Amino acid sequence: MAANIRPAGVFDTQYEQDISLNRTRSDKWWTYGVFAALLLIPLLTVDGPLGLSIIPSFWIGLIVRIAIYAIAVQGLNILMGYTGQISLGHAAFMGVGAYSAALIARNFDLPFWIVVPLAAMFTGLVGLLFGLPSLRVKGFYLAMATLAAQFIIPWVLRYPLEPLTNGSRPLEVPDPTFFGISFAPQAAMYYIIIPLAVLLFLAARNIIRTRIGRAFISVRDNDLAAELLGINVFSYKLQAFFLSSLYAGIAGALWAFDTQSLSIDKFQLNLSIEFLAMLVIGGAGFPLGAIFGVTFVNLLSQYIIPSLSTTLKVILPVLLPFIGIANIEAALSPILFGLAIAIFLVIEPRGIAYRWEILKIAWKIRPYSY
Amino acid sequence: MRKLILTLVILALLVSMAVFVQAQDMAMPDFIQHSDCEVDLTGETITIYHFGDISGAYAFITQPLLAGLADAIAYYNAHGGVCGAMLATDNRDTGGDPAQTQAHYDYYSSLDPKPSAVLLYASGDAELLRSQVEEDGIVSLISAGSVEGLYGEDGQTPGWIYATNPLYADQLGSFCEFVAADPMGVYGEEPVIGYISWPGAFGQAAFTPETIAYCGEQGVTVLETPEIFLPTDTDISGQVLNLVDAGATILYTNTLASGPFLVAKTVVDLGLEEDVQLAGVNWALDTSVALLSRTALGSDGLPAVNGIVGSLPFRWWSETSEPGVAFVREQAAANERSLPTQNIAYLLGFSTVDLYTELYIQTVNRLGSLDAVDGAALKETLDGISYSPLGLFTADWQGGELRAVPTNRMAMMMFLNATMDGPATSGDDALKIPNDDGTTIYVPILVPLTEFAPAPDLRPGGE
Amino acid sequence: MSAVINFYDNNKPLINKVLSVALLLAILIFLLPIIAEQKPSRMVQSTITGLLVGSVYSLIALGIVIINKASGVFNFAHGLMMLFGAMIFYTFFSSANVNPLAAGLMAFFTVFIVLTMNGLADLRDTRRLAIGLVVGLILTGLMSLPGRDLQFVRAIIGGLVGSVLVGLCVERFAIRPLIGQPLFASVLMTLAVSEFLLGVTQMTWGSVELPLQIFAWLDGTGIPRNIVWEAETLLGGDVRLRTDLLLVLILALLSFGAFVLFFRYTSVGLAMRATAENQQLAQSVGLRVRFILAVAWGIAALLATIGGVLQGGATSLSLNMPLLALRAFPAVLLGGLESIGGALVGGLVIGLVQEWANLLFPGTQAGTELAPYLVLMIVLVIRPDGLFGEKRIERI
Repeated sequence: MAANIRPAGVFDTQYEQDISLNRTRSDKWWTYGVFAALLLIPLLTVDGPLGLSIIPSFWIGLIVRIAIYAIAVQGLNILMGYTGQISLGHAAFMGVGAYSAALIARNFDLPFWIVVPLAAMFTGLVGLLFGLPSLRVKGFYLAMATLAAQFIIPWVLRYPLEPLTNGSRPLEVPDPTFFGISFAPQAAMYYIIIPLAVLLFLAARNIIRTRIGRAFISVRDNDLAAELLGINVFSYKLQAFFLSSLYAGIAGALWAFDTQSLSIDKFQLNLSIEFLAMLVIGGAGFPLGAIFGVTFVNLLSQYIIPSLSTTLKVILPVLLPFIGIANIEAALSPILFGLAIAIFLVIEPRGIAYRWEILKIAWKIRPYSY
Repeated sequence: MRKLILTLVILALLVSMAVFVQAQDMAMPDFIQHSDCEVDLTGETITIYHFGDISGAYAFITQPLLAGLADAIAYYNAHGGVCGAMLATDNRDTGGDPAQTQAHYDYYSSLDPKPSAVLLYASGDAELLRSQVEEDGIVSLISAGSVEGLYGEDGQTPGWIYATNPLYADQLGSFCEFVAADPMGVYGEEPVIGYISWPGAFGQAAFTPETIAYCGEQGVTVLETPEIFLPTDTDISGQVLNLVDAGATILYTNTLASGPFLVAKTVVDLGLEEDVQLAGVNWALDTSVALLSRTALGSDGLPAVNGIVGSLPFRWWSETSEPGVAFVREQAAANERSLPTQNIAYLLGFSTVDLYTELYIQTVNRLGSLDAVDGAALKETLDGISYSPLGLFTADWQGGELRAVPTNRMAMMMFLNATMDGPATSGDDALKIPNDDGTTIYVPILVPLTEFAPAPDLRPGGE
Repeated sequence: MSAVINFYDNNKPLINKVLSVALLLAILIFLLPIIAEQKPSRMVQSTITGLLVGSVYSLIALGIVIINKASGVFNFAHGLMMLFGAMIFYTFFSSANVNPLAAGLMAFFTVFIVLTMNGLADLRDTRRLAIGLVVGLILTGLMSLPGRDLQFVRAIIGGLVGSVLVGLCVERFAIRPLIGQPLFASVLMTLAVSEFLLGVTQMTWGSVELPLQIFAWLDGTGIPRNIVWEAETLLGGDVRLRTDLLLVLILALLSFGAFVLFFRYTSVGLAMRATAENQQLAQSVGLRVRFILAVAWGIAALLATIGGVLQGGATSLSLNMPLLALRAFPAVLLGGLESIGGALVGGLVIGLVQEWANLLFPGTQAGTELAPYLVLMIVLVIRPDGLFGEKRIERI
């Protein structure tokens, strides 16, 4: 799972080239271009100032949700893709971020731009705490330790902290304010969340080039060898846990301000598993993987499966007359989702981002095959 | 074989009900009493947008709900629709995942034209979407909800979500009133309620400080520590014993399907049938609970849930003297709906479609055209409506003061006797129908214990 | 930060011991007053219930351990395999007239999958084909036995065939194509399998909860459904033992014993252990790793079905059952991944901890959400290889 796949014959001739964030000029323009296009989208919806209905307005909500999830999955990517530590508790850390942001905003009347970093820092510290077992265990065992976090954290939020968090009842979150201006409408939140998501994506991409990132990768590839090279494996593992939870905390805080109504039921194990699925589908170890994975899974469950279901609901009762229509209705979405993921994994087990790199190479060296 | 059983069951129910169902004072001259159409809507389509947990843990309720919606829509469309407009449904599955709920809602709310109304299912969904439906001006119907979903965290801010059943907290309140009055003489001098339920928005919705205080005023103690179990638990004797040791004489559960069944089964297993009474939310008195219980019999030879008391805020399958009930039964039989489908949710599906129809007729009459109808207009109609869909319940939100229909009554689940003229007193005289899976089906009947009356208003922040 | 870590590194064994003892003492001191308040009868009752409930966890844990040992994959589909297998069992158990054609299709498809475990080439062997034909016919006959008297024979054979079919199909069509790919992909594949099986279950059986009456025959034998020990004077209350759960415990222990014998004394079992140790080495001494992997999935599916049937018999069959597998996860680690006996002890301990926590901390879900995972964390810190796991030298 190398993050840099290059065609034969492409070498870095200068050190600057080797460490640059965007290796080529077109890389750079791609990044900025996509960012600019994203910023334009709200202007092209019905609710925008121009009143154009080129893009349906629910794209805004969808993109915001994709961006929030992408931040969370990017965090998981740092831990799992870069450092090789499996986490089954990422949703719980997102929950910590969401609840701590909500509680800070409710109780201290602080502005949005202070609340989010505070919540993220706190989540990072909680993540550090649950990363401690990585001192002694790894692999499957570590996955279990993070699974414990996935159960213990919601429990703590639900029962001992009930006076603060409302327990099983929903917790309302105040409007996000930015220098006294409320950013509650979704289009306004869009302009906070999207730049933040892009920034965090670039940061994640940047980490690979730094000392920390290279240490992460060496821990992933061979921890014994890394130790022999003088890398303090435990310290780097903890740093990965911290960074990963920091991302989850930011995602959680943004989620809290975006929906304005929190429930612990949201941050359960199935969300952690979903994050894992998104990362593997997108391509673990690639910064772009998180974005690809989240987008793919969202499109799958929002568009592809509902539209397929509509067709199959008509066809299947004719093909399989012995099965009740009500049964088919309920069964379609899990069957299609399972099948889609399975087929996808067989075709490209290394994730979309890997395939993307291959495609890029093929484009660069065309018309030759290598 | 299955059809034979179905016919037998339905026959049995029909014959039996005439005897002990009391005539109610809410009799309708005719059971479908829509307003007259002033505008012809032929050629138009009205879509009922619904999203619920179709494939997840609550599927026992949602699937019959979909069946009810489908059958009702087919019937209404075949009989003129809404002043000529055809009804349609658009169902989406959330699988019980809040992120899916949000995604489906975003999709619906951005459709062009924007839906004026959506049909919600889970109380958790209502809590999540509460502020959003208000912002988007989409009025929502739900069967029952929590205080936070309908009135916000302060309990005093009515939103855009309207529930057709009383609040879960109010249901427990009216149960306490019932216990205090004790018409059956079973609850004793010092009744103590132990709350045993699932975790989460729905399971914990009735356990509020206001309810506990209200019950206390009625002379009914509610134990301060509730017990919590999961739908997957194999054995909950520990939880039940905790409550009984703390002095509970009544176990109240805010669960559905396997939840009430597991509580009842545990009470039987522990030999506590004489010592504790069972009670629950409206979903606890459901066909699914009775059917599950057929394999766990109490010491009297009847299913363990025999005698469970709960809220029954609408007419039930057995009240065949109601023309609306008889009508829904005919529809279910005509569509060959199985016994598990003939439950609360199927009734709800039918009455919801009828309510939608009336809602649109009234609104269109007021505004003059279907295009002018939006969420705010529907909300205005809902605020002022006083209408009884098929005579199953009365949709009346008290001039827009409330968000949950407050009318409630108490009923007890019993099982039909062999002569089909009343409840069985023991397993020997119960009607037993062999099922093709080798089990014996006992036919559940719900016996109303009180008349319809408003449930207490137990929102926080009141008075 | 690094100074602390270096200090720890230099005095690892001593610090670990001191910390462990201190932790255990602290927990004891915290728990003792709460325990002292309880009636002895309740403590005994919770212990009994815990052990009974824990036996199902053990079976689930064993299934997960087998897959993990054989291939390193963490099987998220185990819960659904439980439900699916139990549903197949239920179908054969409850219908008096099984369609022989359907039973035949199922039996012969299973035989086909088993015969081609190593590839389609094996079908050229006529002797194998003949044996397969005979076995298929016998299975079809057994699975379509009519009437209620033989429902157990029919259902056990049907459940066996069904679960082997599910296990092998999962291995063949989902896991095998991913051999040589990153492990994450295989783990995710089990999730996809889980979703797919959920859909198939709903399509075939609907969303209704079904009663599985495998203990109904007890009523005819005069054995009471609860064995009551009236210990009012001794313990301050009665202690009850649910007969059906006792049978679940016994059956779980028996299946456990059978698998232990299988691993110890059969050549396939020994080969599986060898493969688990080192896949490449096993292959180099002539063991067919692909075959071993298929067998592992078959056994795991069988274990899942047994667990599902026992759990369903004690409660009912519902779509919630797969969630139970998640709660067996701590049991997997507690015993240690390498140890089959550890899975048994782990399951029982988790059952015990769960019931005790329910008793000691009412109304907080401590039994299901907190206590098992706290115990897991403590064990991970004190003994990273689980209670019975083998110590691995590769440690940093």
